[in-house]
Parts: sequence; structure tokens; C-alpha cells
Amino acid sequence: MDIKLNSEDLAFREEVKSFFEDNKIKPGEDYFSWRLGWFEKAREKGGWDVPKWPEKFGGPGWTPTQHYIWEQETARANIPFDLPFGLGMLAPILMNYGNEEQQQRFLPDIRDRKVNWCQGYSEPGAGSDLANLKTKAVLSDDGSYYTVNGSKIWTTLAHVADWIFCLTRTDDSGIKQQGITFLLFPMKQEGIEVKPIITLGGSHTVNTVHFTDVKVPVENRIGEEGKGWTYAKGLLEHERTGLAGLSKSLVELEQLKDNARSIKRGNGNLMDESSYKSKVGELEIDLLATEFTELRSLASAAAGGDPGPESSILKLKGTEIKQRIQKLTVEASGIYSSAWGDKGVGPAFAKSGTGGYLNSRYFTIYGGASEVQKDIVAKKVLGLTKGSSK
Amino acid sequence: MNFELSEEQKMIQQSVERFVQENYDLSNRIKISAEEPGFSKDYWSSMAELGWLGLAFDEEDGGFGGNQIDTLVVMEQFGKGLVLEPFLANVVLGGGAIKRGGSELIKQSILPDLIEGKLQVTLAYAEEQSRFDLEDVATSAREESESFVLNGKKSMVLNAESADKIVVVARTSGSQVDENGISLFLVDANADGIEKENFPTVDGLRASEISFKDVVVSSENLIGKKDEGFEILRAVTNDAILAIAAEAVGAMEVLYKDTVEYTQQREQFDHPLSDFQVLQHRMVDMFMEYEQCKSLLFRATMETVQDPVLSQRTVHALKHLIGKSGIFVGESAVQLHGGMGVTEELRIGHFFKRLLVIDSQFGNSDFHLEKFTNL
Repeated sequence: MDIKLNSEDLAFREEVKSFFEDNKIKPGEDYFSWRLGWFEKAREKGGWDVPKWPEKFGGPGWTPTQHYIWEQETARANIPFDLPFGLGMLAPILMNYGNEEQQQRFLPDIRDRKVNWCQGYSEPGAGSDLANLKTKAVLSDDGSYYTVNGSKIWTTLAHVADWIFCLTRTDDSGIKQQGITFLLFPMKQEGIEVKPIITLGGSHTVNTVHFTDVKVPVENRIGEEGKGWTYAKGLLEHERTGLAGLSKSLVELEQLKDNARSIKRGNGNLMDESSYKSKVGELEIDLLATEFTELRSLASAAAGGDPGPESSILKLKGTEIKQRIQKLTVEASGIYSSAWGDKGVGPAFAKSGTGGYLNSRYFTIYGGASEVQKDIVAKKVLGLTKGSSK
Repeated sequence: MNFELSEEQKMIQQSVERFVQENYDLSNRIKISAEEPGFSKDYWSSMAELGWLGLAFDEEDGGFGGNQIDTLVVMEQFGKGLVLEPFLANVVLGGGAIKRGGSELIKQSILPDLIEGKLQVTLAYAEEQSRFDLEDVATSAREESESFVLNGKKSMVLNAESADKIVVVARTSGSQVDENGISLFLVDANADGIEKENFPTVDGLRASEISFKDVVVSSENLIGKKDEGFEILRAVTNDAILAIAAEAVGAMEVLYKDTVEYTQQREQFDHPLSDFQVLQHRMVDMFMEYEQCKSLLFRATMETVQDPVLSQRTVHALKHLIGKSGIFVGESAVQLHGGMGVTEELRIGHFFKRLLVIDSQFGNSDFHLEKFTNL
């Protein structure tokens, strides 16, 4: 065991830093054209536009240490925004279960950030119990297309998505994990209605989506009919580890400390107050540990094994850490934490603090609620059979 | 020792409960909150007619001679509907300061009208740098012949948009953080030199930042003695803590009961959510926090009625527990409602927001723990 970075890793870090430095947005530059240009240049570096993709599909083939360095540096730098749906969620499914025609048809546009995808999984009656989904897909008599009817909920950014990857039910005769079929189809068509859901932070990110007789050509089915659950499960694992975002939390923690230091208390500041300082300290200690839990998990995956049992706690810990950062931001805002709206009163960080905290309550619910995550750990890791989600 | 409410208090409790049930469903609350002035003037008039605004005032001021227990009875029921009408700002804060320190002239000119719902008063005490420290007052009041001249800025003033009068806490002597040298003034809300920046708060209420530039106040409008306003301010904010703690207890009751009901209806994994032991235990925790808060609320309120100085430590204890438990119950309700919990569509999110704001008012959980352990 050795925590020291070797000379190659150090050189890599410098290379990443200078890439970010050289490709910063210039004053007055159009954000969206800068964004596309940035990904193009990252691609020329040898797959830096798709760091997590396997080499076979154009990824950079980094070591876990390189991934770690990349995560740290991207959290610090102002790099263009990216969405996980196509790149991180659908792409691995296409690579593992899609046919070659589908890979060639969809992966390049995902890589070029040309097509926005959304994820059609949860339904009003299928949240934590995702396999309970009821959206029906019926194959036509000639076997050329499916007709989809039903509703999805919590569909993030469905209102701006071009395509959806969607779990549908093609058979309800067996156990509910069977008979689920994985379909891809465009969002901008007859029979699809998107309605906003406003969350507690006052923002519109998630939606309900209703399908009425939506026709989907059979070529848009991933893998076999009825096997969608197996494909999605692999993807869910991806979502669960990808959500932790620890490097970003470390940067946010530093920001939190700066914010707290800007609140004057007597001759010192808020970080001198023992109760507040202790909470920040406990948070940082959890973060230091969780960061290495993630690294251990990455290392065992890179060594060719399954992610170790430690990976199962990453979502639980990572989301809880993010919520605590938000909560401490609210506390630092003091009396101003109750101000609402665009005006903003008190310290600048107070303006978005409370909305951020309220929306952060979602972190322990989506992608598998914490209670379900713990059931999974109890069952899969500890081998306990009397868990509630048997 | 007796935990029974009087017959009159029971009647008030039932009448407020009925009012909240009949008028405060979620959609109506959202509608009232979004429109000017952020509460219903009709409801406010009804509350005055029903005598609720006068409960805690002396009979010679036009009230019914009640105390903090009467306020508790009203506020706990208000908490179950997240009532928007400015009871706290008028009755507890503005009216509470006048009741304690106002001259006969001031009391007679303000309180009867306040009790009848014709005149609104609020209290401006917090400042940008003060955070939760009541004694940290930079706004100055300079004495000039028969008057005082106010300069400075006040923060998060509740209901200032609708107020006709504002009780302003200002410094007449001493350093910025001295308890001595603080004085209270009754100021016209639209006096020359006053500027208000109004905004909504997280819980759907309204507040303002107010600046005072050479605002002239006649010496007659001093509330209490010059330099000795701090004790009034402390007593008023203690009453406010008791009031919002009662509101919080009402809100927590709604949250835990709604959660129990929802988990019995919502099915996942072929069972109602309420079958799952991990969720049952979380709900038991919510219920326990609610009961403990209620106990400490009763204790702090009864002790304050008995002796408002000796009760100080219990008031700190109460505000600590209300802040901490309120957020625990709110976060738990959201978590157990799953995705639905984080939407504006169910009422639990709105109750959670109010509990979050309550923690930030009159000192948060950490602040009062510190005060408690140092006293």
C-alpha cells in the first residue's frame, strides 16, 4: 500500500490541469459553442470526453488513480456541464446488451452531446419497488412495432429530452421481474405528454410523462423481449455508484468553510463557534473516509473483480454527506435562511442555500431510497435473509 | 400541578381547530399566500371578532386578561394549518412590546385597535451582523430635544409590508453588544426616511429589510425607559419562542400523522409501506420527538407564567429541542413519503418548510443549546 502518487500520475495531474486552464471559457464567448468545442478537444486528448467508457468504445483506459485525479480536478475546475443519462446510464447498456447496429446508431450522438436522453423507469406505483412497473408495450401482429401506453414519474429533464430509454411491461404472467422490455424512442412525437412537477426548492427538473398509443419500432428494443430487468439492473448499479460525487462534495465543503468564515462573530467568525465547527469537522471526517471507500471500490473493480462490498455503502454515505453540507449552509445563513425568491438578502450564499437544502432531501430517495439500499446491503453483503425486500 | 385547560381555553381550542379545518386546506393556503398582502383580511377580521387577538392582553387594554397559555392554545392549532395571518407579529411581537413597556397613552392608542384587527404592529429587532444575538444592536437613536433620530438597518422584519406601526429596537448608549443602552421606539411604518425591501419567506410568509435614515421619533413614543429596553425585548422574544414552539408542535403532529396514514395506503413490494419495520421505527421516533416537544412546551410555558426570569433556561431548552426535532420530523416525513415528499403537491413539504424557518427564528438549535449550557 502506498498513497504517494508516482511521477506518471503527477505528470497526468499537470496535464489535466493545463488542459482545463488552456480551454477555459473566454469572456464574451458563447457558452454552448464553447461547450461543444471543449468536448471536441477533450476527445482529441484520447477519449477525455468519455472518461468512463471502455477503451474499446473510445474511452481513455485510465487507471483508478487517474480517474481519481480527473474527478478531483474536474470538481475544482469550471468544466462544461454534462448530463448522465445518455453518457453514463444508457451507453453502458448499449455497449453490453445492444446490437452493433444500435451501438453505431446511438453511441456517436451520445458522445457528441447531440441528443438529450431521459430515463423512463419509475411509475406512480413503482418507486422503490421498480419491478412493479405497469407501462404496457404490446407487439403488433406482424411483429414490427410495439404500442406503448402508461405513465412514468420523476422523469428528470423529460421536458428537454429528445429520446427516452424506457422500461415497459410486455408480459405479466410470471414474477414481476420477468416480462419487462427495454425500449428506446423519441420524445417529440404524438401520444407523449410531459407535465412538470415542482419540487420543494421551487424548481422544475422532474416530470410526469404519459404515453398514449406510442408506436416504437422493434429495432428500438434492447436485447430480448422480457429481459429488460436484467439489463436495467446493471445500469442501476451504475447509477448508484455514480451518484456519490465525492470530489464535488470536497470542493463544496471548502466553499462551506469559506462561507462560514465570512460570518463574523465577535472578534472571530462562525467557524470559531464550537457547535458549528464540530459539525463541519465530523462531516469532513466522514468525507475523508468515504473518499477512500470509493477508491478501494474503484481499485478492486480495476483489478478485474466485482466492486467489493464496500461499494454498497457509497450511495448511502455520499448522499448523506451532500445533505449535511446543504444543511450546514442553511445554518450558516442564520436569520437569512428563511428569505425566499430571487432578490436575495443577507450573505450571497444564503440565496440558494435553503432551496438547495430542500431539493437535497431527494438525494436519499432517488436511485433507490436509503432504506432499500440498506435492505440490499443486509441481504447481499451480510447475507441476512429476513430483510424487508425479500 | 394541573395540565387541564380551562373551560374557556377548551372552547377557544375547539373554535380555532374548526376554523383551521374549514379554511386552511393546502390549495387555499397556497392561493392566499401568493396574493397580496399574503394573508386573508377576512380571516384576520374574523379572528378579531372571535376575540382571539385580545386573549393575551389585559382587560384595561381591551383584552381578556389571559397569558402565554392562551397563546399556546391558539398557536398549536394554527400550526396544524400553517395559518398565514400575522398573529405572531401583531399579538406576540409588536403588541407584546407595547403591552409590557408602552405608556398609557400608547397602549390606549394602539392596543384596542390592534385587538379589533384595525391596526397592525410588528417588531424590528434583528440586524445583518447580529445573527441571533438580541443585544447586538447597531441601529442608533440619537436624542435631540423632544425627539430621537433613528439611523440604521433592520433585518427579517415579519409582516412589515402590512404593518401600520413598527416597534424598533435601537441603541441609545453603550457599545454595539451591551445589554444596557438599548431602547424601543414606536415608529410609523411610513415615516419619512424609512425604506422597505419586501420579500416572501421560505414558509410562504412575508418579511422585509428596513432602512432608517434620519427618522424622527417623538420622545413620547419611547417604549419603556430609555436604555432599559433589553428586558422588554427578551421577554417579548421569549413569548415569541413559546408561540412558535406551540405552532411547531401542531405542525409536527400533522407530519407524523400524515406519514402514518400515507405509509398505510402506499404499497410497494406487495405490502403497505407501514408493514416494514424500519419505517415503523422511524415513525415511532417521529412520534416520540413530537411528544417530547409538547412536554417541554408545556413545561416552559407554565414556568414562564409562574416566573418569566427563572424560566429562561427552560425556554432555551425548548427552542433547542423544537429546532432539532422539528427538522428531524420534517426530514423523516419527506423521506417516508419518497418522491412525493419533495413535491409542492402534498402538504407535508409545506409543514417541513415552516419547521425549517422556525428553527431560524429567535435563535436556532445550536444557539439555544449554547445559552442553555452556559446558564
